[in-house]
Amino acid sequence: MAYEFRLPDIGEGLTEAEVVRWLVEVGSAVDLDQPLVEVETDKAVVEIPAPRQGVVLHHGAPVGAVLEVGAVLAVIGEPGETWGEGGGDKPSTEVPAETEEVVPATKVVAPIVGSISEEAEVLGAIASVEPARPQALPLVRKLARELGVDLAAVAGSGPGGRVTRDDVVSASEPDGAEGDGGDERVRLSRLRRTIAERMTRSWREIPHVTTFDQVDAGRLLAARRALAERHQRLLPIEALVAKAVIPVLASFPEFNATLEGDELILHHRFDLGFAVDTPDGLVVARCQDADKLGLMDLAGEVSRLAEGAKARTLRTDELTGQTFSISNIGAVGGGYGTPIIPYGTTAILSVGRAQDHPVVRDGAVVVAPMIPLSLSYDHRVIDGGLGRRFMAQLIENLEEPALFLAG
Amino acid sequence: MPMLTLAQAITDALDCALKEDERVILLGEDVGRTGGVFRVTDGLIERYGSERVVDTPVAESGIVGTAFGMAVAGLRPVAEIQFMGFSYPGFDQVISHVSRIRNRSRHRFSAPLVIRIPYGGGIGAAEHHSESAEAIYVHTPGLKVVVPATPHDAKGLLLAAIEDPDPVIFLEPIRLYRAVKEDVPDGHYTVPIGPARMERTGTDLTLVGWGAMLQEVRLAADQLARDGVLVEVIDLRTLAPLDADVLVTSAEKTGRVVVVHEAPRTAGIGAEVAALVQERALYSLQAPVQRVTGWDTVFPLKRTEHVYLPDVERIVTAARRTLEG
Amino acid sequence: MRQLLDPAGELLGDAPVGLDETRRLYAAMVEARVYDRKCTALQKQGRLATYAPFEGQEAAQVGAAAALRPDDWVVATYRDAALMWMHGYTWEALVLGRTGDERGGSPPEGINILPPSITVGAHMLHAVGLAWGERVLGTDRVALTSFGDGATSEGDFHEAMNFAAVFSTATVFLCQNNHYAISLARATQTRAETIADKSVAYGMPGEQVDGNDLFAVLTATMTAVASARNGAGPTLIEAVTYRLGPHTTSDDPGRYRPAEEVEQWRERDPLERVRLYLASQDRWDEEWQRELDRTASERIERAVNIAEGLDPLPASDPFDRMFATASPLLAEQRDEAR
Repeated sequence: MAYEFRLPDIGEGLTEAEVVRWLVEVGSAVDLDQPLVEVETDKAVVEIPAPRQGVVLHHGAPVGAVLEVGAVLAVIGEPGETWGEGGGDKPSTEVPAETEEVVPATKVVAPIVGSISEEAEVLGAIASVEPARPQALPLVRKLARELGVDLAAVAGSGPGGRVTRDDVVSASEPDGAEGDGGDERVRLSRLRRTIAERMTRSWREIPHVTTFDQVDAGRLLAARRALAERHQRLLPIEALVAKAVIPVLASFPEFNATLEGDELILHHRFDLGFAVDTPDGLVVARCQDADKLGLMDLAGEVSRLAEGAKARTLRTDELTGQTFSISNIGAVGGGYGTPIIPYGTTAILSVGRAQDHPVVRDGAVVVAPMIPLSLSYDHRVIDGGLGRRFMAQLIENLEEPALFLAG
Repeated sequence: MPMLTLAQAITDALDCALKEDERVILLGEDVGRTGGVFRVTDGLIERYGSERVVDTPVAESGIVGTAFGMAVAGLRPVAEIQFMGFSYPGFDQVISHVSRIRNRSRHRFSAPLVIRIPYGGGIGAAEHHSESAEAIYVHTPGLKVVVPATPHDAKGLLLAAIEDPDPVIFLEPIRLYRAVKEDVPDGHYTVPIGPARMERTGTDLTLVGWGAMLQEVRLAADQLARDGVLVEVIDLRTLAPLDADVLVTSAEKTGRVVVVHEAPRTAGIGAEVAALVQERALYSLQAPVQRVTGWDTVFPLKRTEHVYLPDVERIVTAARRTLEG
Repeated sequence: MRQLLDPAGELLGDAPVGLDETRRLYAAMVEARVYDRKCTALQKQGRLATYAPFEGQEAAQVGAAAALRPDDWVVATYRDAALMWMHGYTWEALVLGRTGDERGGSPPEGINILPPSITVGAHMLHAVGLAWGERVLGTDRVALTSFGDGATSEGDFHEAMNFAAVFSTATVFLCQNNHYAISLARATQTRAETIADKSVAYGMPGEQVDGNDLFAVLTATMTAVASARNGAGPTLIEAVTYRLGPHTTSDDPGRYRPAEEVEQWRERDPLERVRLYLASQDRWDEEWQRELDRTASERIERAVNIAEGLDPLPASDPFDRMFATASPLLAEQRDEAR
């Protein structure tokens, strides 16, 4: 079958060549690697040898003509065979068995030819009269798409007129939410926004359960008074509660843990978080290795953290990484509550203010200082029964401070 | 565990490697008798002799090209170039041969060598002595590029580099050689090449750095924390291959990324970090990624080098830009 | 300049090898020339990437290779196919490399030849390091590096010569002075009278030999190899030869050298003088020559068929050969390229 020999790129990136001289005429026999034609490229005059033996059936171009790389240069076939461009026998560039011409199986990098089109210039001109895009972060654009808000129609309140997330949320709400009744719009502080984000994340991702109980704090408060007399300072209640809670956490490690995907990381350290009410908002300060501190040291640390949080002088690592948190809402007069679990932990204990209540003891009604306790936990990893048992052991400790103060 | 400086930790790693593996050989200018211009190879020639700790003629291409041949033959050479600004005469060997032999021979040959290069500024050195050209090496396919920021990592990464089956460019921050000290385990251990080190976790902002810049990044993170900004600090420590997972996960978490490097800004590694983050975490971003870098200027001499080097103030300013709005 | 066999085939001194070995080396030169001409033809048919012919330099390459032990190292260039083949590289691997396929850079196990260097000069240092490495590992292997007259202007020539001499490595520097670095003539490459003279500056022996004289090259290389193997350090050999063809198939040598000069060198053909010598010893006849031509053609055609018959490498291949283990980001790119 006739073989079409196409003009190869013989000079590293050439695109064409001019035929200088045919060395084998049409109809003549040619040997493998016998010089067939002389062509001139941009770099040199080159003799091209025949890639196979046979009879030359066709010259792709006369002397003086310029051929592009890839065009048919010559056709070589059997004696008596005919060849016609686009007709007769379908010409072959396939591999004849004996010579194994390589046909690339993968795409080949094409030479770059041609010039820049007029179309590109026209399109460029159209693009240049498009109106300016509204300024917004990709995050905000995505939100706008989700909420069906046209960004171009939103007046941006951010720096330089940038459309913010709040702008998009407002724009997505029904009319009337804005500007009626003389309401004041207050921009959240940086800390408040951070709190909002974290609370939202915890609330969205963690299925909260809160269990409530109260504890007779008579002995605990008596101990606190005795310590105050000895050391001339009143210990923060959180320090005492922390001492009572640590052995309970040791017994119930699920409460001192982090849920990560399908794994629950049980922490062997007790880095307790203490919620601090600051003028700017709620901050959870972390006391590292609370179990390793004596009561007085722990009390000192809790006070230092509270002051540091209020003065905003705490280091980052003092504000993150807690393994269990205690919130003393009693300090602001609170009773029961439903505390939100700090993200990355599984539980939080809220301690309310002590109030005298009538309680029945040994068949008689007596008055006792009762402290309300609220324990929120992550229901994905902690069941109700476990929550109750945790609470029961905590109450046992708090009612008999000797049990933990000795330890 | 002894307290070691970064320089001592490197000496310790070299000592370990020479002791444990007879194929290890050190070569470079002044690495023997004087113990190197930074004394990092101090005492090694006395312990291992001049056949294994080799003072070479002043010829960086010679050092790298010869080390390449040794590595192909089966040794584990550790070549030292005195300063990054002097590494360029040897760079042709690196880009044309060291980085390619595994590819061009399809695993038939490989070049497991380490090129140690003191790098970076901040010590008021002469011209050519303060360069940070890590991007040139990172942009060269076939190389691993490592920059330790702590003595512990310096030793572990260097031992990992010497054991690595492929060539490793080991960049040693000059400014940290004697500035930091920490407990470094005795004997052999490795820190894997590839994973970044999460130095500190946070939720509001990610600061990315490596080498000497980690010091500035830490101080900036402290300052931001005092304002209640919880900063996550990533020490990349391997620049090739980059740990994209850590960068992207952190960007997704904090939504704000500031990358800090001493090298010139244009086409620096900061650009690569920004590109990776935008490719993979764009919809988590709360602000555009910021770069705090050296300028696109020649590294200034002593009296103006402070103008060039990123400092806490520049980092905090960039961080605040990401926190606005 | 050492010469043992003049262009008329006259023996001027002691032949370094016997007639049987001479016949073997003559046959090798014939086969190498067939390979060289075939590659030029293949390139013009669009089947090879650029090719750098070595016709005229067969004695320099075959003679040098014949002085080596099979486990010695060879670090050579894109114009050294005959040298590399003589030392154990296969023709098919050499063709494969020129078709643009990295499998051509991977010689058979146990054959200590680096893939041919494409950059000029840098590879000489590798032969210094290889010989040094072998010494540390306790072998007496020698590393021979081949380069052209142009490469002696590269800084790496200086660094390699200096390192080899200072550290007394078992390196043999074989300069095939073929008179042209692409278009730049030898006379404008250096003002030194000979390239061998340059050895003086490094404190190593150097010798200029007739590079078209198989026996002269072989003798000089045997001496250099023995000296290196015995711990006496490196030697520079300048083999004065001539590139009869273009620099590469992209080159037009008519632009920089007169045709008469090429004709003069044709008369000093390295094959012809060995043929005349063997004929004078009654060890050559036309029948043997026909047999040599035929078997050489067959072997080269077979090598071309093997090389061209290989399936193209998969798209993943470039990624899988960058490192012992691809990094996650590189693996991602590999998946993207599929």
